[in-house]
Amino acid sequence: MEQIKNDIVDYLKANSFMDNGSSLKDNDSLTQNGIIDSIGLLELMDYICEKYSIEIPEDMLTPENFDSLQGITNMITKLAK
Amino acid sequence: MQITEEMSMNIIEELNGNIENIALKLRGFIRDQVTGFKKKGIVIGVSGGIDSAVALTLCVQELGKENVHGLLLPEEESAPSSKTLGAEICESLGVSYEEVPISPILRSLNIYDKKEQIIKRVCPEYDIRIHKTSLVLPDFLNTGSLNVPYIRLVKNNETIGKYRLKATDYLELIGLQGVKQRSRMLVQYMYAETLNYAVCGTTNKTEVVLGQFVKYGDGGVDLEPLADCYKTQVYALGRYLDINKEIMKRPPSADTWSHYTTDEEFYWRMPIQIMDQMLYAQEHQLPLQVIEKSTGLSRETIEKAQKHIHRIRNNTEYIRAAPPVCYINR
Repeated sequence: MEQIKNDIVDYLKANSFMDNGSSLKDNDSLTQNGIIDSIGLLELMDYICEKYSIEIPEDMLTPENFDSLQGITNMITKLAK
Repeated sequence: MQITEEMSMNIIEELNGNIENIALKLRGFIRDQVTGFKKKGIVIGVSGGIDSAVALTLCVQELGKENVHGLLLPEEESAPSSKTLGAEICESLGVSYEEVPISPILRSLNIYDKKEQIIKRVCPEYDIRIHKTSLVLPDFLNTGSLNVPYIRLVKNNETIGKYRLKATDYLELIGLQGVKQRSRMLVQYMYAETLNYAVCGTTNKTEVVLGQFVKYGDGGVDLEPLADCYKTQVYALGRYLDINKEIMKRPPSADTWSHYTTDEEFYWRMPIQIMDQMLYAQEHQLPLQVIEKSTGLSRETIEKAQKHIHRIRNNTEYIRAAPPVCYINR
Protein backbone atom coordinates (compact mmCIF):
# COMPACT_ATOMS: atom_id res chain seq x y z
CA MET A 1 0.00 0.00 0.00
CA GLU A 2 2.73 2.47 1.03
CA GLN A 3 4.81 1.53 -2.01
CA ILE A 4 1.88 2.30 -4.32
CA LYS A 5 1.36 5.69 -2.63
CA ASN A 6 5.04 6.51 -3.01
CA ASP A 7 4.98 5.51 -6.69
CA ILE A 8 1.98 7.74 -7.35
CA VAL A 9 3.47 10.70 -5.50
CA ASP A 10 6.74 10.30 -7.42
CA TYR A 11 4.79 10.14 -10.67
CA LEU A 12 2.78 13.25 -9.79
CA LYS A 13 5.89 15.19 -8.77
CA ALA A 14 7.53 14.38 -12.10
CA ASN A 15 4.51 14.67 -14.39
CA SER A 16 1.85 16.92 -12.92
CA PHE A 17 1.49 20.47 -11.63
CA MET A 18 2.48 19.38 -8.12
CA ASP A 19 5.44 21.24 -6.65
CA ASN A 20 8.41 19.05 -5.84
CA GLY A 21 8.63 20.50 -2.37
CA SER A 22 4.96 20.17 -1.45
CA SER A 23 3.38 17.23 0.31
CA LEU A 24 0.12 15.49 -0.50
CA LYS A 25 -2.26 14.20 2.14
CA ASP A 26 -4.07 10.92 1.47
CA ASN A 27 -7.45 12.54 0.88
CA ASP A 28 -6.40 15.80 -0.80
CA SER A 29 -8.28 16.37 -4.07
CA LEU A 30 -5.95 16.20 -7.08
CA THR A 31 -8.29 18.22 -9.28
CA GLN A 32 -9.36 20.83 -6.74
CA ASN A 33 -5.73 21.44 -5.80
CA GLY A 34 -4.85 21.94 -9.47
CA ILE A 35 -2.47 18.97 -9.50
CA ILE A 36 -4.04 17.28 -12.50
CA ASP A 37 -6.42 18.41 -15.23
CA SER A 38 -8.44 16.28 -17.66
CA ILE A 39 -5.41 15.36 -19.76
CA GLY A 40 -3.31 14.76 -16.65
CA LEU A 41 -5.98 12.32 -15.53
CA LEU A 42 -5.76 10.33 -18.77
CA GLU A 43 -1.96 10.28 -18.45
CA LEU A 44 -2.23 9.06 -14.87
CA MET A 45 -4.58 6.25 -15.98
CA ASP A 46 -2.09 5.19 -18.66
CA TYR A 47 0.73 5.20 -16.10
CA ILE A 48 -1.27 3.09 -13.63
CA CYS A 49 -2.29 0.54 -16.28
CA GLU A 50 1.27 0.13 -17.49
CA LYS A 51 3.04 0.21 -14.12
CA TYR A 52 0.73 -2.33 -12.45
CA SER A 53 -0.23 -4.28 -15.60
CA ILE A 54 -3.93 -3.79 -14.96
CA GLU A 55 -6.97 -2.83 -17.01
CA ILE A 56 -9.33 -0.43 -15.30
CA PRO A 57 -12.96 -1.37 -15.99
CA GLU A 58 -15.28 1.43 -17.07
CA ASP A 59 -17.33 1.29 -13.86
CA MET A 60 -14.21 2.05 -11.82
CA LEU A 61 -13.38 5.25 -13.73
CA THR A 62 -15.05 7.40 -11.08
CA PRO A 63 -13.93 10.62 -9.36
CA GLU A 64 -13.83 8.71 -6.04
CA ASN A 65 -11.18 6.33 -7.45
CA PHE A 66 -9.01 8.97 -9.06
CA ASP A 67 -9.27 12.21 -7.16
CA SER A 68 -7.09 11.34 -4.17
CA LEU A 69 -4.01 9.35 -3.30
CA GLN A 70 -6.12 7.10 -1.06
CA GLY A 71 -8.74 6.49 -3.77
CA ILE A 72 -6.09 5.65 -6.36
CA THR A 73 -4.21 3.35 -3.99
CA ASN A 74 -7.38 1.48 -2.97
CA MET A 75 -8.35 1.01 -6.60
CA ILE A 76 -4.93 -0.32 -7.63
CA THR A 77 -4.83 -2.65 -4.64
CA LYS A 78 -8.23 -4.03 -5.57
CA LEU A 79 -7.36 -4.53 -9.25
CA ALA A 80 -3.85 -5.87 -8.74
CA LYS A 81 -5.04 -8.73 -6.49
CA MET B 1 -35.88 38.27 -7.43
CA GLN B 2 -37.99 37.53 -4.32
CA ILE B 3 -37.14 34.31 -2.48
CA THR B 4 -40.68 32.87 -2.87
CA GLU B 5 -40.62 33.72 -6.56
CA GLU B 6 -37.23 32.06 -6.90
CA MET B 7 -38.38 28.86 -5.17
CA SER B 8 -41.23 28.34 -7.61
CA MET B 9 -39.06 29.10 -10.60
CA ASN B 10 -38.94 26.80 -13.61
CA ILE B 11 -35.54 27.26 -15.21
CA ILE B 12 -36.60 26.08 -18.67
CA GLU B 13 -39.45 28.61 -18.68
CA GLU B 14 -36.96 31.32 -17.72
CA LEU B 15 -34.68 30.27 -20.58
CA ASN B 16 -37.56 30.23 -23.05
CA GLY B 17 -38.86 33.64 -22.03
CA ASN B 18 -38.43 37.10 -23.52
CA ILE B 19 -37.32 35.70 -26.87
CA GLU B 20 -38.70 38.52 -29.02
CA ASN B 21 -36.63 41.07 -27.09
CA ILE B 22 -33.56 38.86 -27.22
CA ALA B 23 -33.90 38.57 -31.01
CA LEU B 24 -34.16 42.36 -31.31
CA LYS B 25 -31.16 42.87 -29.08
CA LEU B 26 -29.08 40.39 -31.09
CA ARG B 27 -30.04 42.11 -34.34
CA GLY B 28 -28.97 45.47 -32.92
CA PHE B 29 -25.70 43.89 -31.76
CA ILE B 30 -24.99 42.49 -35.24
CA ARG B 31 -25.57 45.88 -36.87
CA ASP B 32 -23.48 47.74 -34.27
CA GLN B 33 -20.55 45.34 -34.64
CA VAL B 34 -20.54 45.32 -38.44
CA THR B 35 -20.81 49.12 -38.53
CA GLY B 36 -18.24 49.48 -35.75
CA PHE B 37 -15.75 47.38 -37.71
CA LYS B 38 -16.59 49.45 -40.83
CA LYS B 39 -17.50 46.29 -42.71
CA LYS B 40 -20.12 46.00 -45.44
CA GLY B 41 -21.73 42.76 -44.43
CA ILE B 42 -21.35 39.30 -42.95
CA VAL B 43 -19.73 36.04 -44.00
CA ILE B 44 -21.03 33.06 -42.09
CA GLY B 45 -20.31 29.33 -42.18
CA VAL B 46 -23.61 27.48 -42.52
CA SER B 47 -23.45 23.97 -41.07
CA GLY B 48 -27.04 22.80 -41.32
CA GLY B 49 -27.30 23.09 -37.53
CA ILE B 50 -29.52 25.26 -35.38
CA ASP B 51 -26.84 27.77 -34.25
CA SER B 52 -25.75 28.84 -37.71
CA ALA B 53 -29.37 28.82 -38.93
CA VAL B 54 -30.40 31.23 -36.16
CA ALA B 55 -27.32 33.47 -36.58
CA LEU B 56 -27.77 33.55 -40.36
CA THR B 57 -31.47 34.44 -40.08
CA LEU B 58 -30.77 37.28 -37.62
CA CYS B 59 -28.00 38.64 -39.87
CA VAL B 60 -30.32 38.58 -42.91
CA GLN B 61 -33.18 40.22 -40.99
CA GLU B 62 -30.93 43.00 -39.78
CA LEU B 63 -28.54 43.60 -42.68
CA GLY B 64 -30.60 42.44 -45.66
CA LYS B 65 -29.99 39.35 -47.77
CA GLU B 66 -27.72 41.24 -50.17
CA ASN B 67 -25.22 41.90 -47.37
CA VAL B 68 -24.81 38.34 -46.12
CA HIS B 69 -22.79 35.54 -47.74
CA GLY B 70 -23.14 31.94 -46.60
CA LEU B 71 -20.41 29.31 -46.87
CA LEU B 72 -21.03 25.57 -46.86
CA LEU B 73 -17.75 23.99 -45.78
CA PRO B 74 -18.14 20.20 -45.94
CA GLU B 75 -15.41 17.58 -45.73
CA GLU B 76 -15.20 13.82 -46.30
CA GLU B 77 -16.62 12.89 -42.92
CA SER B 78 -19.47 15.43 -42.86
CA ALA B 79 -23.00 14.07 -42.84
CA PRO B 80 -24.61 14.64 -46.29
CA SER B 81 -27.56 16.33 -44.55
CA SER B 82 -25.26 19.14 -43.32
CA LYS B 83 -24.83 20.36 -46.86
CA THR B 84 -28.43 19.95 -47.98
CA LEU B 85 -29.88 21.64 -44.88
CA GLY B 86 -27.29 24.43 -45.10
CA ALA B 87 -28.16 25.05 -48.76
CA GLU B 88 -31.88 24.93 -47.99
CA ILE B 89 -31.75 27.65 -45.36
CA CYS B 90 -29.58 29.91 -47.53
CA GLU B 91 -32.02 29.48 -50.40
CA SER B 92 -35.08 30.06 -48.25
CA LEU B 93 -33.56 33.34 -47.00
CA GLY B 94 -32.42 34.29 -50.50
CA VAL B 95 -28.78 34.84 -49.54
CA SER B 96 -25.86 34.13 -51.84
CA TYR B 97 -23.87 31.08 -50.81
CA GLU B 98 -21.08 28.86 -52.02
CA GLU B 99 -19.87 25.39 -51.26
CA VAL B 100 -16.14 25.24 -50.51
CA PRO B 101 -15.12 21.69 -49.53
CA ILE B 102 -12.24 21.73 -47.04
CA SER B 103 -11.21 18.10 -47.74
CA PRO B 104 -8.32 19.17 -50.06
CA ILE B 105 -6.81 21.24 -47.21
CA LEU B 106 -7.19 18.30 -44.84
CA ARG B 107 -5.71 15.86 -47.36
CA SER B 108 -2.73 18.13 -47.98
CA LEU B 109 -1.93 17.86 -44.26
CA ASN B 110 -2.55 14.08 -44.20
CA ILE B 111 -5.26 14.56 -41.61
CA TYR B 112 -7.38 11.58 -42.76
CA ASP B 113 -4.39 9.20 -43.04
CA LYS B 114 -3.06 10.18 -39.64
CA LYS B 115 -6.50 9.80 -38.09
CA GLU B 116 -6.87 6.35 -39.66
CA GLN B 117 -3.50 5.29 -38.25
CA ILE B 118 -4.46 6.33 -34.72
CA ILE B 119 -7.82 4.57 -34.91
CA LYS B 120 -6.13 1.40 -36.22
CA ARG B 121 -3.67 1.57 -33.32
CA VAL B 122 -6.55 1.85 -30.84
CA CYS B 123 -8.99 -0.57 -32.54
CA PRO B 124 -6.95 -3.22 -34.40
CA GLU B 125 -9.95 -4.54 -36.39
CA TYR B 126 -10.78 -1.10 -37.79
CA ASP B 127 -11.31 -1.14 -41.53
CA ILE B 128 -12.11 2.26 -43.02
CA ARG B 129 -14.08 0.60 -45.83
CA ILE B 130 -16.62 -1.02 -43.55
CA HIS B 131 -16.52 0.80 -40.22
CA LYS B 132 -17.55 4.26 -39.14
CA THR B 133 -16.16 5.83 -35.99
CA SER B 134 -17.02 8.39 -33.38
CA LEU B 135 -15.43 9.85 -30.28
CA VAL B 136 -17.64 9.50 -27.22
CA LEU B 137 -17.67 10.08 -23.48
CA PRO B 138 -19.65 7.98 -20.99
CA ASP B 139 -23.07 9.25 -20.03
CA PHE B 140 -22.67 11.28 -16.84
CA LEU B 141 -26.05 11.17 -15.14
CA ASN B 142 -26.28 7.36 -15.15
CA THR B 143 -22.62 6.49 -14.59
CA GLY B 144 -21.10 9.49 -12.79
CA SER B 145 -17.84 8.42 -14.39
CA LEU B 146 -14.89 10.57 -15.35
CA ASN B 147 -14.39 12.36 -18.67
CA VAL B 148 -12.66 9.40 -20.31
CA PRO B 149 -12.82 9.39 -24.12
CA TYR B 150 -13.55 6.26 -26.15
CA ILE B 151 -13.48 5.49 -29.85
CA ARG B 152 -16.72 3.82 -30.87
CA LEU B 153 -16.58 1.47 -33.84
CA VAL B 154 -19.80 1.26 -35.83
CA LYS B 155 -20.77 -1.21 -38.55
CA ASN B 156 -24.10 -0.97 -40.37
CA ASN B 157 -25.28 1.57 -37.77
CA GLU B 158 -24.56 -0.79 -34.87
CA THR B 159 -21.86 -0.25 -32.27
CA ILE B 160 -19.49 -3.20 -32.40
CA GLY B 161 -16.80 -1.96 -30.03
CA LYS B 162 -15.67 0.77 -27.68
CA TYR B 163 -12.00 1.43 -26.97
CA ARG B 164 -10.51 3.70 -24.33
CA LEU B 165 -8.04 6.21 -25.75
CA LYS B 166 -4.60 6.71 -24.29
CA ALA B 167 -3.71 10.31 -23.50
CA THR B 168 -1.18 10.56 -26.35
CA ASP B 169 -3.66 9.19 -28.92
CA TYR B 170 -6.43 11.46 -27.64
CA LEU B 171 -4.22 14.55 -27.85
CA GLU B 172 -3.11 13.67 -31.37
CA LEU B 173 -6.71 13.10 -32.47
CA ILE B 174 -7.88 16.39 -30.99
CA GLY B 175 -5.06 18.18 -32.80
CA LEU B 176 -6.02 16.55 -36.11
CA GLN B 177 -9.74 17.12 -35.65
CA GLY B 178 -9.20 20.79 -34.80
CA VAL B 179 -7.71 21.33 -38.26
CA LYS B 180 -11.24 20.91 -39.62
CA GLN B 181 -12.65 23.91 -37.77
CA ARG B 182 -9.45 25.87 -38.30
CA SER B 183 -9.57 25.23 -42.06
CA ARG B 184 -13.12 26.57 -42.09
CA MET B 185 -11.88 29.69 -40.32
CA LEU B 186 -9.21 30.23 -43.03
CA VAL B 187 -11.79 29.95 -45.81
CA GLN B 188 -14.25 32.26 -44.05
CA TYR B 189 -11.60 34.97 -43.69
CA MET B 190 -10.49 34.56 -47.29
CA TYR B 191 -14.06 35.38 -48.35
CA ALA B 192 -14.63 38.04 -45.69
CA GLU B 193 -11.55 40.02 -46.65
CA THR B 194 -12.33 39.78 -50.35
CA LEU B 195 -15.85 41.14 -49.75
CA ASN B 196 -14.84 43.55 -46.95
CA TYR B 197 -17.27 41.68 -44.66
CA ALA B 198 -16.93 40.56 -41.04
CA VAL B 199 -17.03 36.88 -40.02
CA CYS B 200 -19.99 36.02 -37.82
CA GLY B 201 -19.51 33.26 -35.24
CA THR B 202 -22.18 30.80 -34.16
CA THR B 203 -20.92 29.66 -30.76
CA ASN B 204 -23.60 29.64 -28.05
CA LYS B 205 -23.22 30.28 -24.33
CA THR B 206 -23.38 26.58 -23.37
CA GLU B 207 -20.39 26.00 -25.66
CA VAL B 208 -18.52 29.05 -24.41
CA VAL B 209 -18.94 28.15 -20.73
CA LEU B 210 -17.91 24.54 -21.33
CA GLY B 211 -15.06 25.40 -23.72
CA GLN B 212 -16.83 23.44 -26.46
CA PHE B 213 -15.28 25.13 -29.46
CA VAL B 214 -11.94 25.13 -31.22
CA LYS B 215 -9.66 28.00 -30.32
CA TYR B 216 -8.96 29.90 -33.57
CA GLY B 217 -11.27 27.45 -35.33
CA ASP B 218 -14.98 28.08 -34.90
CA GLY B 219 -13.87 30.44 -32.11
CA GLY B 220 -11.89 32.53 -34.66
CA VAL B 221 -14.48 35.09 -35.73
CA ASP B 222 -15.21 38.84 -35.56
CA LEU B 223 -18.47 38.77 -33.62
CA GLU B 224 -20.35 36.19 -31.54
CA PRO B 225 -24.03 37.19 -31.37
CA LEU B 226 -25.13 33.93 -29.69
CA ALA B 227 -22.37 33.70 -27.10
CA ASP B 228 -24.65 34.86 -24.28
CA CYS B 229 -27.56 32.60 -25.29
CA TYR B 230 -27.68 29.09 -23.83
CA LYS B 231 -28.41 26.36 -26.38
CA THR B 232 -31.97 26.12 -25.03
CA GLN B 233 -32.39 29.82 -25.83
CA VAL B 234 -31.03 29.24 -29.34
CA TYR B 235 -33.79 26.65 -29.81
CA ALA B 236 -36.35 29.16 -28.54
CA LEU B 237 -34.97 31.69 -31.03
CA GLY B 238 -35.21 29.02 -33.72
CA ARG B 239 -38.91 28.52 -32.96
CA TYR B 240 -39.49 32.28 -32.89
CA LEU B 241 -37.67 32.75 -36.22
CA ASP B 242 -39.53 29.78 -37.74
CA ILE B 243 -36.38 27.87 -38.64
CA ASN B 244 -36.77 24.79 -40.86
CA LYS B 245 -38.19 21.91 -38.78
CA GLU B 246 -35.52 19.48 -40.03
CA ILE B 247 -32.81 21.74 -38.64
CA MET B 248 -34.70 22.16 -35.36
CA LYS B 249 -35.10 18.39 -34.96
CA ARG B 250 -31.51 17.50 -35.85
CA PRO B 251 -29.41 16.48 -32.84
CA PRO B 252 -26.61 19.04 -32.40
CA SER B 253 -23.18 17.82 -33.48
CA ALA B 254 -19.74 19.12 -34.43
CA ASP B 255 -20.12 16.69 -37.36
CA THR B 256 -16.44 15.81 -37.61
CA TRP B 257 -16.64 12.00 -37.26
CA SER B 258 -17.71 9.50 -39.92
CA HIS B 259 -20.45 8.25 -37.58
CA TYR B 260 -22.69 11.21 -36.70
CA THR B 261 -21.81 11.99 -33.08
CA THR B 262 -24.13 14.18 -31.08
CA ASP B 263 -22.92 16.88 -28.68
CA GLU B 264 -24.64 14.92 -25.93
CA GLU B 265 -22.44 11.88 -26.68
CA PHE B 266 -19.23 13.86 -26.94
CA TYR B 267 -19.28 16.73 -24.56
CA TRP B 268 -22.40 17.39 -22.52
CA ARG B 269 -22.83 13.80 -21.28
CA MET B 270 -26.39 14.66 -20.32
CA PRO B 271 -29.45 16.04 -22.15
CA ILE B 272 -29.07 19.68 -23.12
CA GLN B 273 -32.15 20.70 -21.11
CA ILE B 274 -30.43 19.41 -17.97
CA MET B 275 -27.02 20.86 -18.82
CA ASP B 276 -28.47 24.31 -19.51
CA GLN B 277 -30.49 24.28 -16.30
CA MET B 278 -27.36 23.37 -14.37
CA LEU B 279 -25.37 26.16 -16.04
CA TYR B 280 -28.14 28.72 -15.55
CA ALA B 281 -28.50 27.72 -11.90
CA GLN B 282 -24.77 28.08 -11.39
CA GLU B 283 -24.71 31.48 -13.09
CA HIS B 284 -27.62 32.75 -10.98
CA GLN B 285 -26.56 30.89 -7.81
CA LEU B 286 -29.95 29.25 -7.46
CA PRO B 287 -30.60 27.11 -4.38
CA LEU B 288 -30.48 23.32 -4.64
CA GLN B 289 -34.23 22.99 -4.02
CA VAL B 290 -34.95 25.04 -7.15
CA ILE B 291 -32.63 22.89 -9.25
CA GLU B 292 -34.14 19.70 -7.81
CA LYS B 293 -37.65 20.85 -8.61
CA SER B 294 -36.80 22.19 -12.03
CA THR B 295 -34.65 19.28 -13.28
CA GLY B 296 -36.28 16.39 -11.40
CA LEU B 297 -32.81 15.17 -10.42
CA SER B 298 -31.83 14.02 -6.94
CA ARG B 299 -29.76 16.27 -4.71
CA GLU B 300 -26.85 13.82 -4.90
CA THR B 301 -26.86 13.77 -8.72
CA ILE B 302 -27.06 17.57 -8.86
CA GLU B 303 -24.09 17.95 -6.54
CA LYS B 304 -22.05 15.48 -8.60
CA ALA B 305 -23.04 17.24 -11.82
CA GLN B 306 -22.10 20.63 -10.34
CA LYS B 307 -18.63 19.34 -9.47
CA HIS B 308 -18.30 17.80 -12.93
CA ILE B 309 -19.25 21.09 -14.62
CA HIS B 310 -16.89 22.99 -12.34
CA ARG B 311 -14.05 20.69 -13.43
CA ILE B 312 -14.88 21.21 -17.12
CA ARG B 313 -14.90 24.99 -16.66
CA ASN B 314 -11.52 24.90 -14.95
CA ASN B 315 -10.05 22.57 -17.54
CA THR B 316 -11.17 24.76 -20.44
CA GLU B 317 -10.05 28.17 -19.21
CA TYR B 318 -7.22 28.10 -21.74
CA ILE B 319 -9.66 27.72 -24.63
CA ARG B 320 -11.60 30.85 -23.65
CA ALA B 321 -8.52 32.93 -22.84
CA ALA B 322 -7.37 35.65 -25.21
CA PRO B 323 -3.57 35.68 -25.60
CA PRO B 324 -2.25 37.32 -22.43
CA VAL B 325 -0.23 40.48 -23.06
CA CYS B 326 2.74 41.58 -21.00
CA TYR B 327 2.10 45.35 -20.66
CA ILE B 328 5.35 47.19 -20.18
CA ASN B 329 4.16 50.79 -20.30
CA ARG B 330 1.59 50.79 -17.50
